[in-house]
Amino acid sequence: MTETAIRTQKLSRRFGNLTAVDGIDLQVAAGQFFGFLGPNGAGKSTTIKMLTGLLAPTAGSMELLGLDFAAHPVEVKRQIGVVPEGMGLLERLTGSEYLQFVGRMYGLDRGTTQRRANELLDFMQLADRPKTLIADYSHGMQKKLALAAAVIHGPRILFLDEPFEGVDALAAGALKALLGRMTERGTTIFLTSHVLEIVERLCSHVAIIHKGRLVAQGSLEELRAGMSGEAGSKTTLEQVFLSIVGQDGTERPHLEELSWLM
Amino acid sequence: MADVAGAVGILAQIRLVAEVRWRILRNGLRRKTNRFDLLGMIVLGVFSGIFVLGLCFGFFAGAYEFLSHGRPGWIALLFWGIFVFWQLFPIFATGFGAGFEFRSMLRFPLNLTAFYIIGLAYGLADFSSLASVCWLTSMTLGAAVAKPSVLPAMLMVVGLFLLLNVTLERVIGSWLERLLSRRRTRELFVALILLSMVSLNLINPIVNRYGALLKPLALRVIPYFSWFPPSLAGRAIAGALQAHFAELVLGSAGLLFYAAVFSVFLWRRCSAQYRGEELSETAAPARVAARRVAKAEDVPDRLSALSPQVAAVVRKEFRYLMRNNFSFFTLIMPPMLVLIFSSMFTGKHPTSEHQISSEMFFPGMMAYLILILMGPAYNCFAFEGRGIQTYFMVPLRFREVFLGKNLMLLSVLAVEIGVSLVMLAWWLGLPSLPVFVATLAAMVFAVVGQLSLANWSSLTFPRKLEFGQMRGQRQSGMAVLTAFAAQIVFGGVSAVVLFSGRWTGNPWLPAEAFALLAAAAVGGYFASLDALSRMAEEKRETLIEALCR
Repeated sequence: MTETAIRTQKLSRRFGNLTAVDGIDLQVAAGQFFGFLGPNGAGKSTTIKMLTGLLAPTAGSMELLGLDFAAHPVEVKRQIGVVPEGMGLLERLTGSEYLQFVGRMYGLDRGTTQRRANELLDFMQLADRPKTLIADYSHGMQKKLALAAAVIHGPRILFLDEPFEGVDALAAGALKALLGRMTERGTTIFLTSHVLEIVERLCSHVAIIHKGRLVAQGSLEELRAGMSGEAGSKTTLEQVFLSIVGQDGTERPHLEELSWLM
Repeated sequence: MADVAGAVGILAQIRLVAEVRWRILRNGLRRKTNRFDLLGMIVLGVFSGIFVLGLCFGFFAGAYEFLSHGRPGWIALLFWGIFVFWQLFPIFATGFGAGFEFRSMLRFPLNLTAFYIIGLAYGLADFSSLASVCWLTSMTLGAAVAKPSVLPAMLMVVGLFLLLNVTLERVIGSWLERLLSRRRTRELFVALILLSMVSLNLINPIVNRYGALLKPLALRVIPYFSWFPPSLAGRAIAGALQAHFAELVLGSAGLLFYAAVFSVFLWRRCSAQYRGEELSETAAPARVAARRVAKAEDVPDRLSALSPQVAAVVRKEFRYLMRNNFSFFTLIMPPMLVLIFSSMFTGKHPTSEHQISSEMFFPGMMAYLILILMGPAYNCFAFEGRGIQTYFMVPLRFREVFLGKNLMLLSVLAVEIGVSLVMLAWWLGLPSLPVFVATLAAMVFAVVGQLSLANWSSLTFPRKLEFGQMRGQRQSGMAVLTAFAAQIVFGGVSAVVLFSGRWTGNPWLPAEAFALLAAAAVGGYFASLDALSRMAEEKRETLIEALCR
């Protein structure tokens, strides 16, 4: 039987009158490369923040690697890595100092931390500017460093919020290869991205959230098969996505209203 | 085919810029956490109004007095006052004022002339310009009441003086913007401002001590000032009043010349900005030699007595302190101020008349150090920025973060107090043993006692601050109030306990009482850490929202 890495039950989050996440039941098996999709404001980042302990749910429960997050936050955090929205870097440290800080915060000894930090910096091609502060890094470099920090302790689940945004094609290729190797070794990767082609290429399973509710979940094949009137395997994820979130018509642009622009 | 927007007049664009500045200010105050700032701004507005209006009367009276009593040349002093304020205040405001990126206007369809004129109008909307215009108007009125015949000359000279000042202010502002676009320069600039503010305290002792020596030098230098704009303005007015038209023409032409030169400089800066001057500091990556992979035995851990997490926080805090020029210079200031106060109040200085006893001065100075150095602890996450999320993502309890931060603060305090102690001992001598011991115990009580409150305040009233910037950097009003109240309570209790030795005739009583209070404060501190950890979990959204903004 496959181990479950992430399980949520009726997970909800309200901000005043707004329900950002409305009772979602997620299930992600260990070792899956899982894509979490949704239009802007659908509740993706709110969900990932709750799953990583950055935001408290207003209702529902979360289990990660069989541990109740609310009851065992420290044990859960020890086994997960996160690239949050905005990256959460300490910008007045150098890349190396930041990785060493994070490694020590996860309880790694100094030697291991330093060795891993150096290897990660080399892999991410960040080792050539050892004295540059993170504040002076480009956006892509910051993204790579955030990813390095998220994996320095060898997490069993990796949460990535838009990990490829601002990363050049060369680095993106290397990162994808790294993530692929991690899933092969059993790491679960939970990824959000607006670039559906990336999700389609990397992820084996996908969930779609729309207006705070989970509207689809399953393997890519299952989602494609669920589309009526289309030629099953030839359907792209973009078509699946549009057919699901565009069903109520609210997401479709009304171009006739912009006649002055054409 | 899309239609194209019509041309917008310069006046309409100036109004739009003014509106957008107003909206930025108003929207900033709509946040719940900024309500206290509104109160602060109202108080500041009232005081600024009193300051400007009060000086309006002063300039009116000064101009009236100089012209009606046959000393028209002295009016140059009033022009000097306005000139110095107009040009210097915005430089300090660059550090403290609210930000508005004027260059962002460049994305809109403005031609260079419009950009230049809007820039000038933008310069006139500053506090220093508005205040100076009020004072120039008061001067003109005062001069006109004293000598109505001087009014036309006064209007012309004041008009030229105004044009010259607003142009010069924009020139300085645009050059500062260029200089401060680099982080390192910006941090050095802040440090320079701080140092000059501290140095102001030294003017009085220096003048008292070396005044006689400096006087002949000053008298030799003063004539050269007659070619500066304020003196030229004074000469023109005096010439108009005494019917020396050559002086009037020379003074006015000088002002016009300055205005023209500054306009050329400003035009060149505006042109460079208009062409899309690149101020970014991100350098192209340079490949350097591959790094050596360190072995475990290469890195002996000097903080091995601490848990890895606490040690990591201490190291990070130390690096942040070293890289934050603003914080770093606030550490240099206290010992310097102790030195200055020592020289002023201890009778060692030749100008001092009364010597304060070290029995009083020593505890007073130590209390002063704590007052200054404990302030930042009440918003100890200020410089974390988005990095605050790291603390919530990693597997630790928040007590370890507080322990690391507080440990770093205590180390800094120990160094600062040590340096000041040595200086006081050398300059003034140490107090009696009972007072010395009582003061040290009182410091433990006051510092550790405040730490719990400061940690609570940091969680409850967080406010993000930027490194190396004073621009738009304000602590949370409630954090400042909490710090103020705590300092009053701890200072009051300490003063009463300290004086109890005198009242009872038992010199060791304060030391004993403070030892007990210090022990209670240390116990209370450790007892509070778990509660604060729980509170941090509850407040994480407030913290993240406030610091990731």
